[in-house]
Amino acid sequence: MQLRDYILRRLLVLPILIIGVSIVVFTLTRVGGSPIGIYLSHEMTPSEVAEIQARFGLDQPVWVQYLQWAKGILQGDFGYSGVAAAPVSDIFPLKLAATMELAVAAGCVALFLGITLGTFAGARRNKLPDHITRIVAVSGASLPQFWFGILLLIVFWAQLGIAPIGRSDATIFASIAHPTGLYTIDAILAGSLTAFWDAVWHLILPALTLGYGATAIIARMMRSALVEELQQDYVDAARAKGLAEKIVLKRHARRNALVPTVTVIGLTFGFLLQGTITIEIIYRWPGLGRWMADSVLRGDQGTLMTYVLFTSVLFLLVNLIVDVVYANLDRRVTLGK
Amino acid sequence: MSEITDSNFDKTAVRDTAFRVRMRRFFGVLQRLTSNPTTVVGLVLIALMLAMAIFAPWITEANTPDAYQMPRDWGAVRKPPGTPGHWLGTTNEGGDVFYGVIWGSRTSLQLSLYVVGSTMVIGTIIGSVAGLVGGWVDEVLMRIVDVFLSIPELIFALAIAAVLGPSFTNIIIALAMVIWVKYARIMRAQVIQIKQNDYVDAARVIGDSKLNIYLKDILPNAVTPVTVQATLDMGNVVLIGATLSFIGLSEAGIAEWGVLVSEGQAGIASGRWWASTFPGLMIFLWALAFNLVGDGLRDALDPRIEGR
Amino acid sequence: MTTIKWRNHLTAALVGGALAFALPLDATAQVNNPGLLVHAADDEPTTLDPAQVEPGEGGETVILQVYDRLLDFGSDSPELIPSLAVEVPSVDNGGISADGLTYTFKLREGVTFHDGTAFSADDVKYSWDRAIEMDLPEGNAGALADVIASSEVVDDMTFSVTLNDPSASFLNSVVTAMVASVVSQDAVEANGGIEAGVPNQYMAGNMVGTGPYKFVTWNRNENLQLEVNDNYWGDNAKLDVRIEIGGDPDVRVLGLRAGEFDTIETDPSFVADIEGADGVTIFKGGLLLEPLHIGMNLNIPEGSLPPEDTISEDFFHDPRIRQAFNHAFDYEAFLNGPLAGYGEFNPHYVPIGLFGHDASAPVYNKQNAAEAERLFREAGVWDEGFSVSVITEEGNLFALMCLVLKDSLERLNPKFRINVLAVAESVFDDAHASNPLEYAMWAKNADPAADPNFYLNAYAHPDGEWGEVHGFGNGYRDAAKIAGLIDSAAIELDPAKRAATYAEIQRELYEDPMWIIGAQEGIVMAHRSWLEGFAMQPLWPRPSLKFSLFDK
Repeated sequence: MQLRDYILRRLLVLPILIIGVSIVVFTLTRVGGSPIGIYLSHEMTPSEVAEIQARFGLDQPVWVQYLQWAKGILQGDFGYSGVAAAPVSDIFPLKLAATMELAVAAGCVALFLGITLGTFAGARRNKLPDHITRIVAVSGASLPQFWFGILLLIVFWAQLGIAPIGRSDATIFASIAHPTGLYTIDAILAGSLTAFWDAVWHLILPALTLGYGATAIIARMMRSALVEELQQDYVDAARAKGLAEKIVLKRHARRNALVPTVTVIGLTFGFLLQGTITIEIIYRWPGLGRWMADSVLRGDQGTLMTYVLFTSVLFLLVNLIVDVVYANLDRRVTLGK
Repeated sequence: MSEITDSNFDKTAVRDTAFRVRMRRFFGVLQRLTSNPTTVVGLVLIALMLAMAIFAPWITEANTPDAYQMPRDWGAVRKPPGTPGHWLGTTNEGGDVFYGVIWGSRTSLQLSLYVVGSTMVIGTIIGSVAGLVGGWVDEVLMRIVDVFLSIPELIFALAIAAVLGPSFTNIIIALAMVIWVKYARIMRAQVIQIKQNDYVDAARVIGDSKLNIYLKDILPNAVTPVTVQATLDMGNVVLIGATLSFIGLSEAGIAEWGVLVSEGQAGIASGRWWASTFPGLMIFLWALAFNLVGDGLRDALDPRIEGR
Repeated sequence: MTTIKWRNHLTAALVGGALAFALPLDATAQVNNPGLLVHAADDEPTTLDPAQVEPGEGGETVILQVYDRLLDFGSDSPELIPSLAVEVPSVDNGGISADGLTYTFKLREGVTFHDGTAFSADDVKYSWDRAIEMDLPEGNAGALADVIASSEVVDDMTFSVTLNDPSASFLNSVVTAMVASVVSQDAVEANGGIEAGVPNQYMAGNMVGTGPYKFVTWNRNENLQLEVNDNYWGDNAKLDVRIEIGGDPDVRVLGLRAGEFDTIETDPSFVADIEGADGVTIFKGGLLLEPLHIGMNLNIPEGSLPPEDTISEDFFHDPRIRQAFNHAFDYEAFLNGPLAGYGEFNPHYVPIGLFGHDASAPVYNKQNAAEAERLFREAGVWDEGFSVSVITEEGNLFALMCLVLKDSLERLNPKFRINVLAVAESVFDDAHASNPLEYAMWAKNADPAADPNFYLNAYAHPDGEWGEVHGFGNGYRDAAKIAGLIDSAAIELDPAKRAATYAEIQRELYEDPMWIIGAQEGIVMAHRSWLEGFAMQPLWPRPSLKFSLFDK
């Protein structure tokens, strides 16, 4: 199948999947508890409760509610967040920018660590460094992130006092404009070194914690891809020709091994997306994850479901892009069954 | 050449050989497994924790009336490790951390067995049906699977648990609802792939029933990727479950590692590290063990397997 | 009419409790964030609109700083002091009519709103009418609507109110409530006006008041900023304010110790972590007026209990059962454990610190296992045992109280089972708001009020708020007597007679309890030692602080 047809087929299926996800998400809000629980208080009389229900359209049949909700989403109305006391669409972009910044930083950490560790291990297959590296990488995937984050905080924030908490120092943050919502980029745009350093300084610990977790995924893939590459004929040929091991490794094998590693970017992204929830709670990072955790605890289902829908769509898109890129890179892959 | 008929074709002989081949392969895998030091570390850890779970009532006396409730001594709150009677200290509610660590292994074992067990069964059935029946049944089932896979695991489990309400059972349900799709996908792929194999064709030619073929030829061969996934999931499930507990979706006061970390973290900042460090460490070791073994299993079986 | 002297008790509590455990100031410590007060709150406001805010939630404290009311409570005594009204109306000065129905307030001249517009009686009437007309279910409009018959603007600087019935608590419970804050009529009219039953989005996120602080900005989930109002009619505030939102209790504690926060909201269990820290002062003063209680439902609809419950619907009709529960609860475990020793036990149902509290009335304050067993046996449930669920919010003091209840009863008799259903706050609110209630027991605290009548009406009167929902009439040995006592005390203007009635009510309620009251939580506040002017007034909404009093 042509690459173009493959892309088209995936794009056509995409809306169906999104609708499917929206139905699942909507069903969840109507299945358990009260979707408007967050707007109630223990002092309300039943008639007042009914008033609030009518205000949010809950007195209508379920499928009508779904269509209303779907229509709202398409028009950009994502409902009202009881937790943030403001419309979801007002708050979402700010929180998203904060989370993206963290996720990208963590992704960079994961890429660097993962590729380095994976190469290191793959080149020394089944020897001691390989095993140790493997345990280090797998540890990252086995760590309860919230626990690891708390430990790091205690050491670096509470005891040593060298790491900050939160995303920024409020005064420095207020001193520059925020066109993009990404603190680091905004600082560069404003030409403020203080602000840039403030941004990076606050990013370090959370990005390390989150990134370490994702390292295993990349390291694992990089290692096995490298191992496979090193078994290829051209490697033997290159060695026979007398090329230094290092060059064989770095210039040829590793570069080729990077190709299948692309496939785990989707997985890594998914991991990072989910990891932000607990990391943001611990480091008081004002992003989507913490907002969602609050929504869960306060029972603000409307906000939670918007988040689920959004992350699913994002997840789908990223995976689609990754699959297409990979298919483009490696024409040996059968495009579709 | 004599005609091959029902009577002179020895099905059992063929199946016998197939069985012997499989046994040889099995021991080969076992050998490769144990030769890998990291995997051995994992196996040892698993054995230790299983022992902890099984012998819990002998290691520390069960709490009455409910062994899975933390024993609370309101007069001995926030004691540090080394306090007589509370080796690993007590929590903010006077719960014995040591008790929580030991009995938490039971809870984790239950959690992972229930979830992985049920999802393996459900996923296998649905995946097999999709693969065997094919046609529009396959399309519909796989679309549903795709939809479920579009939602990131933790977030999906979070949403379900949030809706069902905080309880241990609900976490099991939420996790099961999220994970079964992986097995469905694996089984379906396996079924389709093996369906096309020669010996299956041979079996069909000689008139073996579809069910028989499925049970004796397809299923055993599909075991491999499912086992790898199940091993990894045994660890993963406890990790996600602990995260859900940390966010606050589990029951208060039960002897479960995730709940203990969550309840114990209020006080970490003031130097009371023990109430959440020890249970957190256990979660880590549990997940590490199963991840190491799962990884090793995957390598030992077939480096080309694509699992998720 | 003489000023009601019930507040002597509260004064005593405040003065007695105001022994700040002062720790030596670190000589080398600099003041962090000079000119700015950073307060770490545990609750984020859901709205900043006085007509929408729910009593007891985070928005009230912001409203306290930014809006004024006609009268207010001083910081060092429970006496009323003038605010936007220049004197406290009384019968003597003609502010209260002879029949006790009409109150006339003389207003302060020269006051301006934060947007520069002038304050007048029109704004007062507008503010109150607005709350009543909007009548938002989540707000506190009932406080005004239930007692006010009419109000009128006599002239620019005079405002009068006529009540439905004479009330001993109008001034200190209604006029000082946050819902009675004065907002700028011009500002509201320019931004959506008044719509019955519909929240005003502008007012929910913006504030135009007359108070010592001006609203600057609200970064959801992060912080809320206020700045000093230089044109304040009273003493100017000295520090700008940033309220940091969210974060776990231990993060707040850490931040306080690190000097990032000047004041924090925390609960008693964290005091152990703060005591002895450099540069931190702990203020232990008095008790919160929000008794922690577990309710018992006498009005359970048929078949509505969770499947694990084995009790019959009229389980709590028997006073012996209710008494037995009260005897079985391990009060000391609750006080020493979750409350870390900060709190006191109090009788049903007049909180310590309020007028009418009789310290000599009998109290449930110690577990009496023998008595509990005797009562349970008499009621016939000892041998069979029972299983009952209690619903509560998760992750806070209420959940811990339920755990103590669970442990208390299960250790008394292994056949007794208490299932603690700890659910998300809003799920609890949802269950709590239904009438009749589908649970046998639930845990929460009482809403704070300045007058005992409020508590008794809501929590003890057979026809009161909870009396109706829980069906107290089904359980009281003599419901009419209790109702009569409460009603007569509500309109009794002679303090001595009133106090005597309340003393009698307390004794009746001891024999016939409708609640298990865990304790009254102690007030524990922690702040940096460089903060001056620190004072707390439990009658102000939580955390009971007026930032305008502080300086660094």
